Amino acid sequence: MKLIHHISYRMLIALTLVLSVWAAFFYTAIMDEVNDEVDDSLEDYADIIIRRSLGGDELPQDKNTNNQYYLTLISASEAAATPIISYKDSMVYIQEKKETEPARVLDIVYRDSLDRYLKLTVLTPAIEKHDLIEELRNWLLFLYATLLVVLIGCNVWLFKKSLKPFYTLMRWIDRYKLGSSHEPLNNHTNVTEFKRLNEAVIRSFERNEKLFEKQKQFIGDVSHEVQTPLAITIGRLEMLMEDETMNERQLEELYKAHRDLEYLTNLNKSLLLLAKIDNSQFTDLKLINMGELLSQYLPDYQEIYSLKEIDVKVEKKSDFTVYMSETLASVLLTNLLKNSFVHTPEHGAIHINIDQNSIVFSNTAEEGALDGDKIFRRFYKREGKGSSSGLGLAIAMSISKQYNLRLSYSYQSGFHRFRLERI
Amino acid sequence: MKILVVEDEPSLREIIRTSLLKEKHIVETADTYRSALLKIEDYDYDCILLDIMLPDGNGLELLKQIKSLKKRANVIIVSAKDSLDDKVDGLNLGADDYLAKPFHLAELNARIRSVARRNNYEGNDFISLGNVRLFPESREVFVGESALDLGRKEYDLLYYFINTPERLINKYSLAELVWGDHIDQADSFDFIYAQIKNLRKKLKAAGSDYEIKAVYGIGYKFVKGNSSE
Repeated sequence: MKLIHHISYRMLIALTLVLSVWAAFFYTAIMDEVNDEVDDSLEDYADIIIRRSLGGDELPQDKNTNNQYYLTLISASEAAATPIISYKDSMVYIQEKKETEPARVLDIVYRDSLDRYLKLTVLTPAIEKHDLIEELRNWLLFLYATLLVVLIGCNVWLFKKSLKPFYTLMRWIDRYKLGSSHEPLNNHTNVTEFKRLNEAVIRSFERNEKLFEKQKQFIGDVSHEVQTPLAITIGRLEMLMEDETMNERQLEELYKAHRDLEYLTNLNKSLLLLAKIDNSQFTDLKLINMGELLSQYLPDYQEIYSLKEIDVKVEKKSDFTVYMSETLASVLLTNLLKNSFVHTPEHGAIHINIDQNSIVFSNTAEEGALDGDKIFRRFYKREGKGSSSGLGLAIAMSISKQYNLRLSYSYQSGFHRFRLERI
Repeated sequence: MKILVVEDEPSLREIIRTSLLKEKHIVETADTYRSALLKIEDYDYDCILLDIMLPDGNGLELLKQIKSLKKRANVIIVSAKDSLDDKVDGLNLGADDYLAKPFHLAELNARIRSVARRNNYEGNDFISLGNVRLFPESREVFVGESALDLGRKEYDLLYYFINTPERLINKYSLAELVWGDHIDQADSFDFIYAQIKNLRKKLKAAGSDYEIKAVYGIGYKFVKGNSSE
């Protein structure tokens, strides 16, 4: 969810709550005020009638007002049971209009000069509350909609306007790739927070860059330094192995030591290669036709793996050419090729499909799908593949990245598919 | 052959020397640019093994000196840098071969032989051992008078064997030969074994004097065939 959506959504909820509560208060306040006014006028009217009735004057026969009154004679006990003054809302039949309408009713109990208890009921038609509520609701809805549109509009505008440096920064971070060249951050702003954010991001990236450099340097240095002692030790073992006085058991032990050192040597070579790829130290760039390069290596592999009787099919729709280092192109293709041959079971099949933008290696899978995330990691080894350094695919991935190629794995109906394509 | 080993690392120098002495070469060593230059100026060598990184100078500079002195020694560059630029520069400057550290002693011996053969036996465009003849130019192999039909990798293996007869070559250096560098070495030995088996069969069927002998589980030797067999 985008931040602006998030904010708008929250505002919608908040606004609904606030306006509902406000509408309730508003309604109550208005009704109170209206009732108050009506009650006052009823009271005045009742006063006149009571005064006149006590004074023996003629009671008003006013046809011009909507006000009505009744005088009822009640017993003393009844009078004692009813409050002297009481207001209520009720539905009343209005004779003039010949219909039932809501009315405000005032009952007053008083005693006349003859010591009789009289109840005066004064009533006046009241406001139609339903109408009022409906009207109120309509206007509130209108207000709500208007407020919403205006507020959200303002918000979006303010948001876009004031968060511009933030989005610029975000785009820059998205484009940023550790260890490769990048454009400087051009993000001028007067807002302190954004200024500090810019600075913090740049500072942190510079630190990462330095660490990355150091790490690369370290791997390169170590691999390099390790080479000579390795060469010497291996040489000594080889000389010892040529000694005719050695018996088989001794030779066996020497061979094992030699084997492990060889493994170390290969590992070291691969690490050095990775370091060199990441440092872009290969400069023999030219336009490489992948299909042609492949056809140089394929016969060797078919020969070496002839024992497995693998069915190899190459389908070439058009040329796939990449401008890259020839050395690395060879390493890339041979690693993928070897990977296919090694992991194809006997009598399996390898299909290589080449088109204008990709080359796909598919091979019969021994078991199910592989973990697509893990297989490209350094030192990832599947069980039972002990002598592998687990760097072959990592190297292939590193080379692909260097030349803006995408190397991906998928599993499809019993086939592992390694797809190398132009991005 | 008289060989000069220019290498600053004492331990490596000693191993190379010992290994070359075994091959009945005459070996001289130099540990610095200066001492190497003095030796090159004063003596003639058949082959010079040249380390590129020397404490007081660059091996490539030394190579230029060798060429300007019109010495006819074969030069094999040995470098720990394994960098393509060095290789290209070295070969352009007239080096005969390039070997990246770390290397197998068997490989070094094979390279020295191959380089020496290439330059010293002009007119003879083949390598022979017993009745096996190998033509590097055309990649053809003859046993006696009959041609041997070999796969590419089988040929490479035979080329290696024929240049290092009677010496133990371990499986790893063969694997490296077959696979080249920078490739994961998973289960490569089964295939080395299969390749050698084929090559062996073909040599035997053609009646070769030399045969490939397995040495316990660790490697192979190219030796004169046992007449009692």
